[in-house]
Amino acid sequence: MRRTIYLTLAAAIGAALAAPWGAAAALAQEGPVKIGLMGPITGQWASEGQDMLNVVQILADELNASGGINGRKVEIVVGDDGGNPKTATLAAQRLISEGVSAVVGTYGSSVTAAVQDIYDEAGVVQVATGSTSIALSEKGLKLFFRTCPRDDEQGRFLAATVKDLGFKRAAIVHDNTSYAKGLADETRAIFRDSGVEEAFFDAITPGDRDYTATITKIRAADPDVIVFTGYYPEAGLILRQKREMNWDVPMIGGDATNNVALVEGAGEEAAAGYYFVSPPGPGDIKGEKARRLLEAFRIRYDALPSSVWAVLAGDAFGVIAEGMKAAGTDGPAIAEYLHSGLQGYEGLTGPISFNEKGDRIGDVYSLYQVDAAGRFVLK
Amino acid sequence: MDFFIQQFCNGLTTGGIYALIALGYTMVYGVMKLINFAHGELFTLGAFLGYLLLVTLGLAGAVGPALGLALSIVTVSGLVAAAGHLLERVAYRPLRNSDRLAAVVSALGASIFLQNAIMIVWGSQYRAYSARLLPAVSLDVLGQPIPLIRILVFAAAAALMLLLWLFINRTRTGLAIRAAAIDQGAARLMGIDVSRVIAVVFVIGPALGGLAGLMAGLLYGQINFNMGQLYGLKAFTAAIIGGIGNIQGAMIGGLLLGLLESLGAAYVSVAWKDAITFVVLIMILVVRPTGLLPERVAEKL
Repeated sequence: MRRTIYLTLAAAIGAALAAPWGAAAALAQEGPVKIGLMGPITGQWASEGQDMLNVVQILADELNASGGINGRKVEIVVGDDGGNPKTATLAAQRLISEGVSAVVGTYGSSVTAAVQDIYDEAGVVQVATGSTSIALSEKGLKLFFRTCPRDDEQGRFLAATVKDLGFKRAAIVHDNTSYAKGLADETRAIFRDSGVEEAFFDAITPGDRDYTATITKIRAADPDVIVFTGYYPEAGLILRQKREMNWDVPMIGGDATNNVALVEGAGEEAAAGYYFVSPPGPGDIKGEKARRLLEAFRIRYDALPSSVWAVLAGDAFGVIAEGMKAAGTDGPAIAEYLHSGLQGYEGLTGPISFNEKGDRIGDVYSLYQVDAAGRFVLK
Repeated sequence: MDFFIQQFCNGLTTGGIYALIALGYTMVYGVMKLINFAHGELFTLGAFLGYLLLVTLGLAGAVGPALGLALSIVTVSGLVAAAGHLLERVAYRPLRNSDRLAAVVSALGASIFLQNAIMIVWGSQYRAYSARLLPAVSLDVLGQPIPLIRILVFAAAAALMLLLWLFINRTRTGLAIRAAAIDQGAARLMGIDVSRVIAVVFVIGPALGGLAGLMAGLLYGQINFNMGQLYGLKAFTAAIIGGIGNIQGAMIGGLLLGLLESLGAAYVSVAWKDAITFVVLIMILVVRPTGLLPERVAEKL
C-alpha cells in the first residue's frame, strides 16, 4: 500500500516537472532560432572575443531586420570561454542546454580542441573562427567547420609568394617553436619542388638578442631573400641588426610577424621593405559586404575590429544562417548542407565553400609590405 | 678570414655585456659566498630605466645625444645601485647569520618579485629604444665594417672593467673588499667594517649590471620584462667558468662565452650554438673544476 503511494507521488512529481519542459519545447518551435557564440569575452584574448560578439551581433540585428531565418528571429546566446579550455567546456555545455543547434567560434586552437567533441556528441554544428591548428579538422568530426585558414595553407602561400616575387636562392630561418618549425618545413618542402634553391636552413633561439653571428653566417651563404617563419620580436631584431651590418637583402615572414611592434623594434628604416604573408587586416578586406559591416561597426563602436578573426566570426555566422535557411535547425542537417550544398557563398572575406574535413577552400592569405613610414601595405 | 673577423667582433660585443653582468655575480659571491639570483633583474631594471629616460622622457632629443647618453649613464647606474643597496638591506642583511640556503631562497624570491614588479610597471609587451638615438655609422676594423654602436659598447664595457680592476687593486676600499673576500672574520678583527664592504659591493655590482642593461637596450633596441633571465643565466655561467669570486675570471669568462657562441654558430650550427657552448664549458670545468682563474689565485694577488 505504502509502495503504491510512493509510486503515485513519484509519477505526480515527474509529470509536474515534465509539463513545463514540454511546454517550453513546444514554444521553442515558435520562438527565435538560437545560435551560440563561443568566444574569449574575458581573459587574455578578451579584445578578440568582444570584437567577435560585436560583429556577430551587428549581423544578427541586420538579419532580424530583414525577416530573420525563414520568418523566425535569430537570438545570439553567448558562452564565454575565457580563452581557457576548462572554462570552455562549461560554456559549451551551457550553450547546448540552452538549445542552440549551431555555434560560432572560437578563437584559440587549444580551446576549440577542448570542446569539439562535446558539440559533436550533442549534434551541434561548430564553425571555428580563429583556430588554425591542423589537427582540429583531422579528427573526422562531421559537424566541425572553420572559416579561418589552416596553418599548412600559410606554408603553401608563403612559398608561392617567394617564387612569384622572383627570388631564386632562399635562406630559411625558424625558431624551433612548433608553429615556426612547421611553417619552415612546409615552405622548404615546396621550395624543393618549385625550384627555389635553399641557401641556408637553421634555427635561432628566441630571447637571444644578438643575431649578428647568424646574420653573418647567412650572408656568407649569399641568398637573395631571407624567409623567417618565427615571431615579430626576433624578426624586428634581425631586421635592425641586418641594417646595422649594411646588408640590404629582402626578408619575408609569416603571420606571426603581423604586429606593429615589429616596426618599433626594428626602427622604420630597417623595417621598410619587409614582406609578410597574413590574412588581411579588417581595413584591407575588399568587397561591398565587408565595407558595409565595417561601416556599421564603426558607427556602433567607434573603432574597427582589431583583427581579421572577428570578421571571420561574422562569416561563421553567415554560413550558419545560410545553412539554417536551407536545412532547418537540425545540427546534422545543417552540417550536411555546409559540406555539399554550400558552394561559393559570398562571405565578408570572399567566397566560402567547405571541403569534406570542414576546412575552408580557397586562399585567405595576402601579401603585405612595410612602407617607408612603417605602415603595413597590402600588395 | 673576413668571416672570422666579423664573427670574432660579433662575439666580443655579446661577451662584453656578459662580462659586465658576470662581475656583479662574482663580486657578491666573493665577499658573501652568495649567488645573487636577482642580479639578472637589476640588469632588466637598468634597461627599463634607460628606456624611461631616453625614450619616454626624450632626454637625448632634449639635450643632444652625447649629453643625454652621459646623463642616462649616471642616472641609471645611480638608481640601479640604489635598488641593489635596498635589495641587500631588505632581502639579504636580515639573513646574514642564518643558514646559507635561506639566503639563496630569499635571492630567488627577490628575483621573482623584481621581475613581476617591472612587468606591472612597464607592462608585458616588448619596448623599443628608437633606432635613431645614435647615428648608424660603421667603422672599418681590419677591412670589416663594424657598427659604431658595437665598438662603443665594447669600449665602454672594457673601460668599466678597467676602472673596477683599478678600484679593487689600487684603493683602500678595494683592499678591504679583497680582505673581506678572503676571510670575513679575520677582516673584522683587523678593523675592517665588513657591513660597509658588503654595502659597497652591493652598490658597484648592481651599477655595473644596470649599465649592461642600458647598453643592451641601446645595442639591440628591444627590451622586455624577462630579458634578465637569459642574460642572468649566461652571465652566471660566465662567472662560474672564470672561477666564481674572481674578478678577472668573470671578465675572461664573459668574453669567452660570447666568442664561443658566435664562433659555434658560425662554424657548426646556429640551432646547436648553445649546446656547443655548454659542452665546451663543461669540458673546461672537468679539467679545472674551480674555473679558469679560481678564487685562491686572486687571494694571492
